[in-house]
Amino acid sequence: MARISLQHVSKSFGGEQGPWAVKDFCLEIEDGELIVFVGPSGCGKSTTLRMIAGLDEATSGAIVIGGRNVTGLPPKDRNVAMVFQNYALYPQKTVYDNMAFGLHVRGEDKQEIDRRVRAAAASLDLEALLDRKPRQLSGGQMQRVALGRALVRDPDVFLLDEPLSNLDAKLRVKMREEIATLHARLRATMIFVTHDQVEAMTLGDRIVIMRDGVIQQAGKPLELYDTPANTFVAGFIGSPEMNLIDGQLIDEGGRMAVRSGDLTISIPERTFTTNEGTVTLGIRPEHLVIADGSPFEMTVSLVEQIGAQTYLMGMIAGHRMRAVFDRRDGIRSGDKVPIAFPKERLHLFASASGATLRMSEADVKEYS
Amino acid sequence: MAQDWRIVTLFIGSILVLGAIIGGPLVYAIMLSFYSAKSFVGELQWVGLANYAKAIQDPLFWQSFANGLMIALSAIFLQVVLGVGIALVLNRRFFGQSVVRAVSILPYFLPTVVACLIAQWILDPNYGLLKSLLASFGIGIADWSSQAFTARGTIVLVSVWLWTPFVVTCVLAGLQTIPTQLYEAARVDGAGPWRQFWHITLPGLRSVLVVVILLRGIWMFNKFDLIWLLTKGGPLNQTETLPTLAYRKSFLEFNLGGGAAVATISFLILAGVMLIYLRLFPIDDTKQER
Repeated sequence: MARISLQHVSKSFGGEQGPWAVKDFCLEIEDGELIVFVGPSGCGKSTTLRMIAGLDEATSGAIVIGGRNVTGLPPKDRNVAMVFQNYALYPQKTVYDNMAFGLHVRGEDKQEIDRRVRAAAASLDLEALLDRKPRQLSGGQMQRVALGRALVRDPDVFLLDEPLSNLDAKLRVKMREEIATLHARLRATMIFVTHDQVEAMTLGDRIVIMRDGVIQQAGKPLELYDTPANTFVAGFIGSPEMNLIDGQLIDEGGRMAVRSGDLTISIPERTFTTNEGTVTLGIRPEHLVIADGSPFEMTVSLVEQIGAQTYLMGMIAGHRMRAVFDRRDGIRSGDKVPIAFPKERLHLFASASGATLRMSEADVKEYS
Repeated sequence: MAQDWRIVTLFIGSILVLGAIIGGPLVYAIMLSFYSAKSFVGELQWVGLANYAKAIQDPLFWQSFANGLMIALSAIFLQVVLGVGIALVLNRRFFGQSVVRAVSILPYFLPTVVACLIAQWILDPNYGLLKSLLASFGIGIADWSSQAFTARGTIVLVSVWLWTPFVVTCVLAGLQTIPTQLYEAARVDGAGPWRQFWHITLPGLRSVLVVVILLRGIWMFNKFDLIWLLTKGGPLNQTETLPTLAYRKSFLEFNLGGGAAVATISFLILAGVMLIYLRLFPIDDTKQER
């Protein structure tokens, strides 16, 4: 098990001039941490993982695993194990041989190989399948074999590249739980790449959100949800997406508010820096509340019943918005619903850069 | 129903055509092997299995069989080893890859007779290219066609030159089907280039190689044109194979029955070997394990 330090790591597939697949990636990953790289396709998350594995060479920067600079080393000298999206099991080998191969290559003793393969097989419920070939396995079983192949190696770091993407929805949830359990048991350093924000939120000790090769924000799942660093993170984490309203910051008799068309929403004091003129106001659909007497009304255009919750889509003062409430049976399309914007739930971003205008705790103290 | 009849008609039609152009001559040849005949128009005389008895008692028959086997095996071995090697090189990315790939298939387009003429031009002991090239270094050259080893070697080399591109093309196609993630997984597992070849490339090419060896085996064992054009079975029957022996008996010794018997035995041997081969190495390897 090991700490990983990624220091100004960059990758360009077109030489020093770019374009950059990953740009100035800096991150310290603690020993035993499960960290999730998440982002849309092409954001550089897999490339970063492959650079840690040694499958792609970093154009610049340094990768340190367990205090050892491995930047120029081939994959075999990094003591990492990787699980691939399409499992990459050796098709002609049995489950046993697939798991034993990495140890065999490293010249481990036969008895030791057998002991470790059987131990891993037992922990992943694969004992009955050891003599099968990959094509005789289901997707979930293949994924467990791929995990087992990583497990037997007892690596410093587990690298998982979208390991659940090829599974159906039900199996994906089950495997997600298995990986979480495995991590809790091993306390191994794991890096998990996904484009699925639910996987990221549920699995990660910390999440790194990437876009166009650049880290947008790194932090604990709820930190990202509560205080997104920019509009991209705000939109990426949370489902349905956060409502974003472009407007102007105005002084309304000593109180700050955001005005956009007919909509004026006052913002809390001592929370945001207020020297930007053009801003984007954000509020999550689940944070809107139904409040009789509220000056805002949503004209509902679509009602989706999910079961426990009711999703609404509609217009509030000319702005298309989504709202999520605990189950409400009575609302129909065309209804007008009084909606309030709780101040403490508001987010504010600079329109030009998209960056949050939320003050840090230190700023807040200084201000007061 | 009308459509069913159309299918049946087409099916029966094609079976009849195939039967006429393949089955007919085959049956006729097998039938001839039970007769004594000097020509196709002369009278046939029933001799039963006499042609077969004569054939297998003839030392030349067994020598031809051994020659053919030796030439076929060494040609297939070289074609496959070189073919896989060249395909591995061509599968790597390099500048001008597609041009080199296209050029590498060219020898396969050469008519055998042209290839043999070129080979003779190069190797001729009196006026050949190789002779003049070696002479400029003061080295003499023996007549390749006068010794068994060099005569067989020439046949094998020309066949390798002509048909290795076929193996290259098949193997290249096979290489494309091996997922690159397998190699990446192996690299992470710690396998070097040799182990990657042995544990991923070779198993991945298995089905392709089984078919390629099967086809090349049949074609090399039945090879007539190349051998006849280069050596006519000489020197002293050292490159005589069953097809050339059958031809010699039928058309030079006017012993149609004897030639047909040799050809029939050759056909049976090949069919037997191929059945055993396919039993040992099924093309679909799922059958092998269950």
